[in-house]
Amino acid sequence: MPPEIALFDFPRGSITAPAGCGKTQLIADTLAQHNGPRPILILTHTNAGVTALRARMARARVAPTSFRIATLDGFTMKLISMFPGRSGHDPAIMLLTNRANDYPAIRAAALALLRARHLDQVLQSTYSRVLVDEYQDCNRVQHAIVTCLAATLPTYVMGDPMQSIFDIAQNRLVDWNAEVLPEFPAIGALGTPWRWRLAGAENLGQWLLHARRLLEAGQPIDLAAVPPEVQCVQIQAATADAQRRAAAMTPLGQGESALIIGDSRNVTGRQRLTSQTPGATTVEAVDLPDLITFAQNFQLAGPMALTHIANFAGSVMTGVGVTPFLTRVETIRNARNRTPPTVAESVAVSFLAEPTYPRVIDLLQILSEQQDCRVYRPEILRCCIAALRIAASRTHTLHEAAIQIRERNRLQGRPLSRRAVGSTLLLKGLEADVAVILEPEEMNARNLYVAMTRGARRLVICSQNQFIGHRR
Amino acid sequence: MARIRRIQIENFRSIQSLDWSPAPGFNCLVGPGDSGKSSILDAIDLCLGARRNASFGDTDFYRLDVTRPIQIMATLGDLPDDLINLDSYGDFLRGFDLANQTLEDEPRFGIETVLTLTLRVESDLEPLWQLYSERAQQQGIERNLAWKDRARISPARIGSYANINLSWSRNSILNRLTEDRPDLGGALAAAARDARLSFGAQAGAQLREPLQIVTQTATNLGVPVGAFAQALLDAHAVSIGDGAIALHNEQGIPLRSLGTGSSRLLIAGLQRQAAQAASIALVDEVEFGLEPHRLIRFMDSLGAKNVPEPLQVFLTTHSPVALRELSGHQLFVVRSLADRHEVRQAGITDDVQSTLRADPEAFLAKRVVVCEGASEVGLMRGLDQHWGTLGHPSFLALGGAYVNVNGGSPDRAYQRGSALLSLGYQVLVIIDADKPVNAEIQNAFLAAGGQSATWGQGRALEDELFASLPDAAVDRLIALAIEVRERDLVASHIRDRSQNTLNLDAIQGFREQGIPYAPPTRAALGLASRIRNNGWFKSVTTYEFIAKTIIGPELSASHQSLQATINWIEGWIHAA
Repeated sequence: MPPEIALFDFPRGSITAPAGCGKTQLIADTLAQHNGPRPILILTHTNAGVTALRARMARARVAPTSFRIATLDGFTMKLISMFPGRSGHDPAIMLLTNRANDYPAIRAAALALLRARHLDQVLQSTYSRVLVDEYQDCNRVQHAIVTCLAATLPTYVMGDPMQSIFDIAQNRLVDWNAEVLPEFPAIGALGTPWRWRLAGAENLGQWLLHARRLLEAGQPIDLAAVPPEVQCVQIQAATADAQRRAAAMTPLGQGESALIIGDSRNVTGRQRLTSQTPGATTVEAVDLPDLITFAQNFQLAGPMALTHIANFAGSVMTGVGVTPFLTRVETIRNARNRTPPTVAESVAVSFLAEPTYPRVIDLLQILSEQQDCRVYRPEILRCCIAALRIAASRTHTLHEAAIQIRERNRLQGRPLSRRAVGSTLLLKGLEADVAVILEPEEMNARNLYVAMTRGARRLVICSQNQFIGHRR
Repeated sequence: MARIRRIQIENFRSIQSLDWSPAPGFNCLVGPGDSGKSSILDAIDLCLGARRNASFGDTDFYRLDVTRPIQIMATLGDLPDDLINLDSYGDFLRGFDLANQTLEDEPRFGIETVLTLTLRVESDLEPLWQLYSERAQQQGIERNLAWKDRARISPARIGSYANINLSWSRNSILNRLTEDRPDLGGALAAAARDARLSFGAQAGAQLREPLQIVTQTATNLGVPVGAFAQALLDAHAVSIGDGAIALHNEQGIPLRSLGTGSSRLLIAGLQRQAAQAASIALVDEVEFGLEPHRLIRFMDSLGAKNVPEPLQVFLTTHSPVALRELSGHQLFVVRSLADRHEVRQAGITDDVQSTLRADPEAFLAKRVVVCEGASEVGLMRGLDQHWGTLGHPSFLALGGAYVNVNGGSPDRAYQRGSALLSLGYQVLVIIDADKPVNAEIQNAFLAAGGQSATWGQGRALEDELFASLPDAAVDRLIALAIEVRERDLVASHIRDRSQNTLNLDAIQGFREQGIPYAPPTRAALGLASRIRNNGWFKSVTTYEFIAKTIIGPELSASHQSLQATINWIEGWIHAA
């Protein structure tokens, strides 16, 4: 199938791609038509994005020789590590021991290397064109890097300014109108809501494109005028929590899945809601901070070891009862118990007698198998047990093992449970049949747009107000 | 596509160390025998050739010392895109600054991106081919070129095994002309079977007796051969591969039976056709088997005169015919110094270019006599022949050559000499002493180690001869002048140059009475014999004759002035 927009008719430029409108298909169709001697370089932001794009190209039977996919950061790291003399960077930054400082240093070095044009001939000999996906997620330095590439190779950027939600003070993102368009003139915009059409809900898709236009123009969305696929829950202050729990429990049809989208800033609140919602699990941040913190603080033979394990268990599963459990274990240790110890309690006692990593694993697994226990953060538990296994083999410390598992996890796509709870930042790029938005009042226009476009069939919006989306 | 920008050789055969940046086009290597020319060609071939193995022996190591590894590094520029690929070779891409011929470990804006290939052989004699960059070495990254890329840059060796290029065997140039490959496996097998059929049982008739013995023995021992054993053609023994398909002419005669010259010429032409891929050619002894006119065609077909030069050619030659076809920037002199080899570009100064046109032999010599004109060349040749009659080896046998500056000033002779000195030749300049000399030019020549010979007391060659030879010899000079020029002309020259104080008849009259030549008469004869553009002896042959039959035999009876100069020249000539 010829691509919806013939990108390569233009020397360079940008494509605006609203959510679910066939951006990846456009990339696949464009690549399928490419038959030059050199591959097209495709850059995106996350390893998960790379994996997803690669899988998508394989499914579309695009010849693997016609493209190379990398993350922008991975590509820049490759460039400066191959040409360390010209880049002149401190080799220590490549170890990424301090991500907050090292990534900016790597990008600055790569920018200087490209700006000096030392690699013009190499890049022109290696690639024919450059395509950058999710361009709205580029920070300003990355934009400068891509602009340098564009001076050497025909470069095309794709993205959606309305999905730019990662803009924080330490990492200013590129401004689409002020910075992207002058460098990459608009070639066109995608306008067919493929995701919804394929799910049999074109009506919803068209309404979302309409809503996007309103939000982009800074106008609110009127919940009184929504299509039937959008269900609005009028939140009353007195019953807010119960109403939101009920919304999170929205019934699902056979094989359907739901994403429940809460307030980005309220992690604890989302976790509490998840623990209270049968069948729900959390979506975790890719850098798994809770696992890393646990691995860093945990001391196998330390006096607080059992407390740490119990607290960790309590944070990923229900029904642990941290304080009573610890008290019981102490009682049993002193042989003052009247009832016999449970399996979990005796494992805890033998752990205290002889603390080993395999016993930590045992304890966590037995706790999770207890009656009335439900693991609502399975990803953290799974990764923790994997890290403990590596630590048990004594080749790595638990902290090193946790980092290794985190990096491996980053590269694998994340399996979503049927009812997953997260925030727009965590769920961007993911989709389900139903999206439930718990607190639209807390979202700005772009976060709201991202949240609303996560469901392909239905949308549930809990709101106190009739108008949403005008919070700046 | 793909040119060698720099070649570094260590401990390979006669070469202890060499670091050379060749020209992008023709590189004609000359130098005395055993100076390492062929070793350079072999080093390039071994380092860049698309071969999976190569056998090395102890004799391939410099002075047989296997503890010091052979290392050959070739840096390639003008690379096809595939070889500048970031993903495949990023850690090895380097930069070469063509302007000042320097290599940098990483690419830089405005300079060329290059790759360095190495071949290393240690005492285990196992060749190891790898890509090289300083940074990859430091990080312990090892890589070789992909096989398809090796095949693309592989140099075409035009050598004595050229006949493989006239059939579709592996590595044949015919396979590189187009993408077409003979796919005749089935047809070839059928041909083998047909051969078996048409051969039939005819061997059986002639081999009846042994067959009977075989049949009888087999039957006795119970080995089943049926009623009788047969002698048939073994289809497997008739192995026919793609290599069996060869070029033939219209009459069906295989082209490999063409003469050496014809097949080399054809293959060189085919190399040119395939040059898009193979862009480096190696030719040892380019003149081998070629008449001069074919040699010139051959050099032309290698692109010697095309701009830009389509191939990077490394060739060795001992043929002045080949040299005369080249420009000085295509000519390189290989020099073996105490601890290393050097390859020096002859360059395109007038002195080099003129020598290349007029006396290309000089570049093939070790020692060169630069002569001011044809007279001196004749003189030197004649003397050499004379010395030969005394049992000395000829200057030519000693690796000598003459350069004729063809008149002009002594300065030109010195400049010509200096140019040759800088290329490592031993140089003797022979000039007349009657013209002013630019001291700066002369001193530069002498400071560079050049030697010069001239005649005493401000004399030109003729002055010296008429002044110093014994009387009988002067008689013979005059007789020779009359023989080659005309008596009237010689007589008028004498009248003119003596302001009518002397005449030929009178001089000869005195001589008949046995009166020796008076010094003023000798001086006047010298002047009379060398009138500009009208000299009595101004030709190589005449002077050759004079030197061989008059100067040489009469030297010991001559005046000290002539003896001193000629003996000094002889000393230099025979010093080798």
